[in-house]
Amino acid sequence: MASIENPVAELPPPSASDLAHGEVLYSIRDLTVDYATRAGTVGAVDRVSLDIRKGEIIGLVGESGCGKSTLGKALMRMITPPGHISGGELLFAGEDLMLASDRRMRQLRGARIGMVFQDPMTSLNPLARIIDHLTETIQTHESTVSDAAARDRAEQLVARLGIRIERIDDYPHQFSGGMRQRIMIALALALRADFVIADEPTTALDVIVEAQFLDLLLELRDEFDLTILLITHNIGAVAEISDRVAVMYAGKLVELGPANAVFGETKHPYSQGLLQSVPNIDVDDVDLYQMAGSPPSLVHPPPGCRFHPRCPAAMDICRTEEPAFLKVAPEQATACWLYSKGRYDE
Amino acid sequence: MSEQERNTPLVEVGGLTKWFPVQKGFIASLLSHGQIDNVRAVDDVNFTIQRGEVLGLAGESGSGKSTVGRLVLGLLEPTKGSVKIDGIDLNGLGREELRRMRKRMQVIFQDPLASLNPRMTIGEAISHPAQIHLPDLSSSERMDLVLETLEAVGMSPARFFYDKYPHQISGGQRQRIVIARALITRPELIVADEPIAMADVSVQSLLLELMVSLKEKFDLTYLFITHDLATTKYICDRIAIMYLGEIVEIGPLNEVFKNPQHPYTRALLAAVPVPDPRHRRKEPLPRGEIPNPINPPSGCRFHPRCPIAVEGICDVDQPRLKSAEDVEGHLASCHLRTGAHKDLDPTRTGQH
Amino acid sequence: MATTLENPPPESPVHLEEWEQELQKVGLVRRILRARRWYGTDWWFVTISTAMVVAFLVIAIAPQFFAKYDPLGQVGPRLLAPGELPAQEILILPEDSQYNSVADFATGERIPIAVQRETPSSEAARDEADRVTEENAAAGSDERVRLQIQRFETPGEVLDTVVAGDAVAGVMSSSVFKGLADQYPTLQSAGAISSAEQDATSFPLGTNQVGQDVLSRLIWGARIAIIIGFSAAIISFVIGVPLGLLAGFAGGKTDRLMTLIMDSIYAFPGLILAIAITAVLGPSIFNIIVAIAVLYIPTYYRIVRGQTLSAKEELYVEAARSIGAKSREILSRYIFPNVIPSVAIIFSVNVADAILTGAGLSFLGLGLPPSTPDWGIDLARGQEFIRSAWWLITFPGLAVMLVVLAFTMMGEGLVEIFNPKLRER
Repeated sequence: MASIENPVAELPPPSASDLAHGEVLYSIRDLTVDYATRAGTVGAVDRVSLDIRKGEIIGLVGESGCGKSTLGKALMRMITPPGHISGGELLFAGEDLMLASDRRMRQLRGARIGMVFQDPMTSLNPLARIIDHLTETIQTHESTVSDAAARDRAEQLVARLGIRIERIDDYPHQFSGGMRQRIMIALALALRADFVIADEPTTALDVIVEAQFLDLLLELRDEFDLTILLITHNIGAVAEISDRVAVMYAGKLVELGPANAVFGETKHPYSQGLLQSVPNIDVDDVDLYQMAGSPPSLVHPPPGCRFHPRCPAAMDICRTEEPAFLKVAPEQATACWLYSKGRYDE
Repeated sequence: MSEQERNTPLVEVGGLTKWFPVQKGFIASLLSHGQIDNVRAVDDVNFTIQRGEVLGLAGESGSGKSTVGRLVLGLLEPTKGSVKIDGIDLNGLGREELRRMRKRMQVIFQDPLASLNPRMTIGEAISHPAQIHLPDLSSSERMDLVLETLEAVGMSPARFFYDKYPHQISGGQRQRIVIARALITRPELIVADEPIAMADVSVQSLLLELMVSLKEKFDLTYLFITHDLATTKYICDRIAIMYLGEIVEIGPLNEVFKNPQHPYTRALLAAVPVPDPRHRRKEPLPRGEIPNPINPPSGCRFHPRCPIAVEGICDVDQPRLKSAEDVEGHLASCHLRTGAHKDLDPTRTGQH
Repeated sequence: MATTLENPPPESPVHLEEWEQELQKVGLVRRILRARRWYGTDWWFVTISTAMVVAFLVIAIAPQFFAKYDPLGQVGPRLLAPGELPAQEILILPEDSQYNSVADFATGERIPIAVQRETPSSEAARDEADRVTEENAAAGSDERVRLQIQRFETPGEVLDTVVAGDAVAGVMSSSVFKGLADQYPTLQSAGAISSAEQDATSFPLGTNQVGQDVLSRLIWGARIAIIIGFSAAIISFVIGVPLGLLAGFAGGKTDRLMTLIMDSIYAFPGLILAIAITAVLGPSIFNIIVAIAVLYIPTYYRIVRGQTLSAKEELYVEAARSIGAKSREILSRYIFPNVIPSVAIIFSVNVADAILTGAGLSFLGLGLPPSTPDWGIDLARGQEFIRSAWWLITFPGLAVMLVVLAFTMMGEGLVEIFNPKLRER
């Protein structure tokens, strides 16, 4: 385990920072993650391909069991047994993380890829003060940084994130939920990470605090050209800050595109149903969509398209053949037989 | 039911207050000279619910909404004030009478897995209230009632689910079971505390739809407690907004949403995430976070975060719920908007 | 929003097809076998130890079907090693003797025979004499065999007496004679004195110093062990669990007073408390059981009280209150069933511990009447023979160890299995 006594070696010059805004930072190709359970092998993520571009906020939405959290963990190679990544490539700034050693992953985590979790109380050490969390993280990864310099950096970060500077010596339990999430971001940014994976960061927060937090994420993205993967089931939050939106269902990616397109011209029937299930406080007299059935078993998924048992537009081919994930509009892709005819080629 | 009975509110809450003493260690209590701190969870709350109505109770954490729910059901004893169900003051009831009163008022909690006994089958769980309150039913009659209720909440085939355990079914299904358990004695009032919050997005709409149709079918009255203002649109007739233990605004839902008076209501409505990327927030967010309910701010509790607070007024005097001039039944407690200092209201003076 | 979907009317949004229902019906045996793949080593742990426990219980309940011999009777020669054939008693005659066998002694006179003290020899000789007499009587003759038995300290003296002519013959075990035969070239064996029961039977675990079969004593000892272990565990359970439930549910002064009492008992070193109680109550199997039971009541109390305290805070208990259930109902239908599984597991380990303590008490000589076939008593008696007859201690010791191990393993294995390893979605 890396620690102050046993610091991880200095990082090679960051190549990711050389990427221009909009270039591909993290390329995921055919990622598959399986879990071994008593009932059989659960295919939590099945051949998902996705390119994450520098400086974008990409929202990954889906309901419980769709595999979005598993995907987030897989990107940091934090899948623990009985789960394992059984296939695919994870190309982060050109480096295939599937081939990286444990040591290399430890270098990357925190320093290049940061993660913010749902419940900050369990991610923070209750016995360490906030300043200690920050300085230890900094000094473990960058051993040449002095105590004073580390403290300076920590204080700057804390101030930037809207935490009162005099509270830097407090313990995690003395902060509210919203504040703790800010501390998690501070930790993620302490090492100037390029890429932050936020897994349900606002689920435990109140509405106003959540709105403040989302605003903060936008500001940080603009200031640092941060890339953020926002994993959540909160459709409204995704609509508020995402540039692009990806929708997952039963372990598969079913739709991907710019937020305006995915919300305005939804392609996949599941996404349509999902978005129409969400209450909209701005709109009057609209019925909420009632989606029939329930998510399929991931041990024995239905043949063909996994959504077909619940799809009002299911055709014969949907029951037997799995649709490929294809581009169907300039910026949009979906996996649905309804669009295979009008396939968009560049 | 007579005309007069129809007009008596089913629920009448007056001056309802609940303070929880803070547990201190021995030394700490010595040092503070025996002074007891209280968490002021609910402070002087008043409202009524008419029969067949759905009153929404909305607020963030620390607003006291869940505590109000439990007080209305008699699961907690109020520090001050009263709760009257159909004219009967719960305080005056003995233990046995209160127990029997439960036939008429039931609750749906937020977490369906936690609110179902893991060692009881679904059939047993649902029939238990019937055993208690409908003792004249034979066991086969009771089973029929349970199966009927299971079908009514959409669980089919009912017989199949009767012998299952809670962990064998999905989350959305579990909440239906909880609803069935609440319905079995055919109560008049149901207090729903965040009933759909833990379900998946698509299941939430199914559950909402279920609750609406059950209300029609069984002639129910709901107290719908939630933090999600958007869902209240689909089920609530009236809504009360709570902040730090007090009701800051109350009125017909459409009115409150269209013309929110209290600055907190406006902030809350503005902060609700809208599933439309083109939507832009109209109001700035209030600063800071919800303060500690042990020591709420003086005067108006919202004043430290309020964008229009006026020094000398808002931090000194406690505002009261007063009518907004436009609509009957729409009240808000704000000195500037509905109180004595309307002349200082920035929306009127054109500054905001 | 674009292309709104047609809203399909779900009559029953939660409708399960026939085949889906079928899928969920899996029998117990199937589940046990499926569990083997999943749980791996722990499954073996539990199944093997459960098999051992079941075997032990069967033996303990019906020892008469498994034990060949009466555990209290002297059924064989003393201190026979496991598997050793008992040495036969032989008749030793001088070369020039006029007699050939005991049958020849049927002259009507009293025949002097030399035997060693405290060996089966005299009995064997007498038995044979009686047998011959009976045979003759049956055949019509009234020739009796009458013996005059002279007892000596050592086999050497026996043989000397025969050589000297003071005794017509000697009777001793063949193995002993074999060791001394060289020194007495004029004496020879005239063959075995038959002893019907003991012809070529060996005792699989040997015999003890009184001639009792070790294996039979072991089997009957199992019964005592089970009686003590189970009874004590059951009494502790029956007293400790309700008290724990009550204390946890009621709280307040009742809770504090009971916890104080229980903690005081718990603080006592176990065996010493048991000794004290047995000493006060007097020796009897019932008192031993009471003493051990008292020892374990606090364990059940603490665990049940803790579980009750946390179960009390659960939402389903509040839900039970909200439907108007009485406190009694809440305790029995909502709290008790959720507390019991953890207790059931400690029961197993508790029985193991009770058996061990019981053996300890009887080892110290407390409680059981000395003639009872019991492992502790056997251990105590076998102490002095630890070098010469190792089997006297080894087998009872092994028995205690195996039984305690089996119950403990079963309990621990069950804990592992009841802890969900992977939360399946």
